[in-house]
Parts: sequence; structure tokens; C-alpha cells
Amino acid sequence: MKPVALLALNFLRQHRWPVLILFAWIVLTALGAADFGRDRVAVDDAVFYVQQLVVYVCVFTAFLAAGAIHNERKSRRILLVLSKAISRGEYLLAVIVGSFAMAAAYALVFGLCGVWLTARAQLSSSGVWQMAVLIVAGALISAAVAVFFSTFLSPYLATALTLLLFAVPAAVHAQHHRGFVWLPGFPILVQVARFSFRPEWAVNWMAIVAAVLESIVFWGLAAAVFERRDIAVPVE
Amino acid sequence: MPDVLDYDRVTKDYVTLWSRQRVRALDNFSLSLERGEIFGFLGPNGAGKTTAIHLALGFMRMSSGSGRLLEKPFGEAKTRARVGFLPENVALYHRPANELLRFYGALNGIRPQRLRQRCREVLRQVELEGEADRNVAKFSRGMQQRIGLAQALINDPELLILDEPTSALDPGARVAMRELLLEANRAGKTIFLSSHLLSEVELICHRVAILVKGRVMKLGRTEELLVARDRYEIVARGVPPEMFPGSQMRDGRLVFTVPAGLQRDALQRIWAIGGEVLSVHPVRRSLEEVFLEMTNQGADA
Repeated sequence: MKPVALLALNFLRQHRWPVLILFAWIVLTALGAADFGRDRVAVDDAVFYVQQLVVYVCVFTAFLAAGAIHNERKSRRILLVLSKAISRGEYLLAVIVGSFAMAAAYALVFGLCGVWLTARAQLSSSGVWQMAVLIVAGALISAAVAVFFSTFLSPYLATALTLLLFAVPAAVHAQHHRGFVWLPGFPILVQVARFSFRPEWAVNWMAIVAAVLESIVFWGLAAAVFERRDIAVPVE
Repeated sequence: MPDVLDYDRVTKDYVTLWSRQRVRALDNFSLSLERGEIFGFLGPNGAGKTTAIHLALGFMRMSSGSGRLLEKPFGEAKTRARVGFLPENVALYHRPANELLRFYGALNGIRPQRLRQRCREVLRQVELEGEADRNVAKFSRGMQQRIGLAQALINDPELLILDEPTSALDPGARVAMRELLLEANRAGKTIFLSSHLLSEVELICHRVAILVKGRVMKLGRTEELLVARDRYEIVARGVPPEMFPGSQMRDGRLVFTVPAGLQRDALQRIWAIGGEVLSVHPVRRSLEEVFLEMTNQGADA
């Protein structure tokens, strides 16, 4: 597993600047939301702040993960990496683990800002950390699906398809209250949409488990497809 | 002794996605590398050399045929821990040289203590020990090529696969690279060297294959390939130059060539006038001449 951890760290290092900008965005939006106060509208805005940051991380990880293979092939750096004792499956796992680690750091920054914000608004902060867990799970499944699509599509199409897969069922559910429980990421998004600072809101741990299992399935599918791809041909 | 690298009737077709146009890069290609040799892999651009290398390392899949790398089928990740690879136009992560080497070494599962020692050794080998802490992004192309070679050597591989290793090097660095490859070979490593620099190949390779349009046009020991059996060079003394048109005088000796089969007649003519025959041997060609002959034949075919 050490090579996977090394490649995951390398993935994070390659994307450190966009990740740091995203972290700055969390802090800045928290500072903006801090002025909302304690009335009814302020609570709604705080809820929106929390919800939008979960959606951002899913979009962001899909974007990063979908471009990983393409960028490495285009720069030809993938050749040296895969000339070592690394299987294609391990290589993809490293991209997913790197995205997961990025999301975990994001969730930590989000949690700290969220606790500070909810303390100012005199709201319960217990939901913030549960949302942090949803962030990590959402980013994980988002990265796994994006990596799967990117094994046979361009990074733009892979990102678009990943986001459509998440967004369309969520939109249909919001309109018609129809369930798509079997679709990847759907149970996570439903929980995010239902989020509130009321004590009755609690994370559904089955959705987290489902996201982890689905991520493993998508990684397996991605590895099977990527194993059959010629990686040394030009990507353009 | 089992072969280190073995291609058995390998064909590789590239198929374009939309037009379904098929380009054959390797055509029924067979080749075996013996343990401990330096093998020169030659061919014009587009001959299929890099494709053959990429197939061995599992970057691509064969359309048909089979291949074995260190006695395992192509594409097995664990086997690659025993191989060092330097691609053409090496692309490296922008990190200090020392850190980069540790990264690539760790990917091959080398333990940290051994890795530190190997980093020092290979940096010394490629004469970059003074640059260990400098970011490779700031290196010249030649230095990057040498760091590329260092990462190929980091795991002390049994087989070194080098795709145009001297293309970016100045003459001095080229000589150093040649010495380094010979030293690695003396240490028991097998070297598969794809190169356009025929003089380098001629100097260090035990065997050579010339690939044209995905097919091996010529394969053999370098010395044998360079010998033209169709012409003989005769060196004689006490013979007037006008007796053999096209001959040259060197240090009082007459040097000329005759087609194979006519050498006996030429010798008898020299002896008949009281001349002395100093040597008779097949004409030695340069690898460049052999290469051009093969590529022209391949183009005609």
C-alpha cells in the first residue's frame, strides 16, 4: 500500500494550489456568513452555506479526479510511474485516495469554520461534523465515478457525466419525490438537501457505507477498463 | 539460459477511433534478448521501436502474439520492479533530484535505508551528486536525461530498457553515458538500447536488430553485421597502383577491394609480378551503411 500512499500524496502535491484556493474559499464564505445574525433568515443562510460547500467539494473532486489520467498521459509522466511495480488498479486507487485525502482536509477546514459560524449564530454545531462526514463520503464516490468515466472519456466529458449522474436524480427527486437510492451518491445528496440545524437531523450511516461500497465497485470497474487501455498513445 | 526479453510473433495495430483506420506498428515481430548482452535496437522513425518497448512494459496491449519479460508475460507489475526504463523525452515531476529518485525507488518497493544508499550511488554514477537538492525543473535537458537514467538505475535492475538515452546529451556526456552503460553491463545487467546514434551502438552493442515498418530486417552480432561478405579488401606490397584501378597507396602499401569470388584471381596477379600479399579480409562497413541499406530495402519492400 505504500506506493499507493506515495502516489496519492503526489496527486495532492500536484494539485496543491487549487486545493489551497478552495480552502481559502471556505474560510472567506464563512467570514461572509458570520454577519447573518440569529433570526430566521440567518439560519437559512447558514444552512445554505453548509449545503453549497458539500456540493462544491463533489464538483471539485470530480473535476480533479477526471483530469488525473489525461494530464499525466499528456505530460508523459505516467510512463515512468507505470514502468515501476505499480498496477493500473493501484494507480487509479491512488487518484481516488488522493481525492479522499483532499476531501478529508477540506472537511476539517469546513468543520472548524462551521463550528465557529454556528457558535456565532448560537446554533447547534453537532450537524456540522456530520456534514463533514458527508463531505468526505460525497467526495469519495464523486472521485471514484469520475475516475471510472475518465478511463474511456475525455476529462471534460467524464466530469460532465459524473455531475449529471449526481445532479439529475437529485433534481428529479426534488420535483417529484421519487427515489433513486441505487444511484451512486444519491443518498448523500438527499441528506445534504434535507440538512438543518435542528436536533432531529442526523446523518444516515447507511448512505455513508453505500458510498464507500459503491466507490469500491467503481474503482474495480475503472481498473478493469484502464487495464485494457493503451496509455502510451497521444491523448489528443 | 532463459531469455530476458522475448517477443513471439507480436503484431500491434493502432486503430483510430472514428475512421477505424488501421496502422500496423509491429508486424509478426519476433526477438529475444540474451542475459548479459547489450542489444542495439535500430530503425528509422516510425519503425515500431518505441511500440515494442511499450508493449514489453505493459503500456499497451498486443493485437496478437505473445511476449515475456524476465520470464513473465508482458504487463505484470511485480516484474517491472526488476526493470529500469528510460523513455524518450523523459518527463519528470518538478522536485529536488534526491527526492525524485526516492519517490521512484519507493514505487518499486525499495526500503528507505537501501533507497538512501542507492540515491547516493546513482547520483554519483550520473555525476549529479552536487545537484541532489536542486529542483529538476531547473536542470538542462542533458541533466534531466541523466536524472532519468538515475531513476532507471535506482532499483539496481536486471534489465535496462533505454529509449534514445543519448539524444539530448553533448559529446562529453555521451561518452560518460557510454562508459556508464558498459559499467552496468559489466555488473551483469542486460541492456536493451534503442538509439539513432549508430556510432554509439556500433561501439557498445553485442548484437543489433534493424527494424523497418514493424519487421526485423536484420538481426545478428554487431561484428558479423558489419562484415560485407560480398567484397574483400586486399593489402599488398610491391604492386603498381595502375594494376588495380581504384586502389589507394597507404604507407607504401596498396589497398584495394574486389568482389567476392575474384580475390583468388587478384592474388595470383600480385604473385605473378613478384608482389607480396599482406592481408585479405572481408570489407568492414560502418553500421550506418548497413542501416541505410536495410532501411532502403525495407522501403522498397
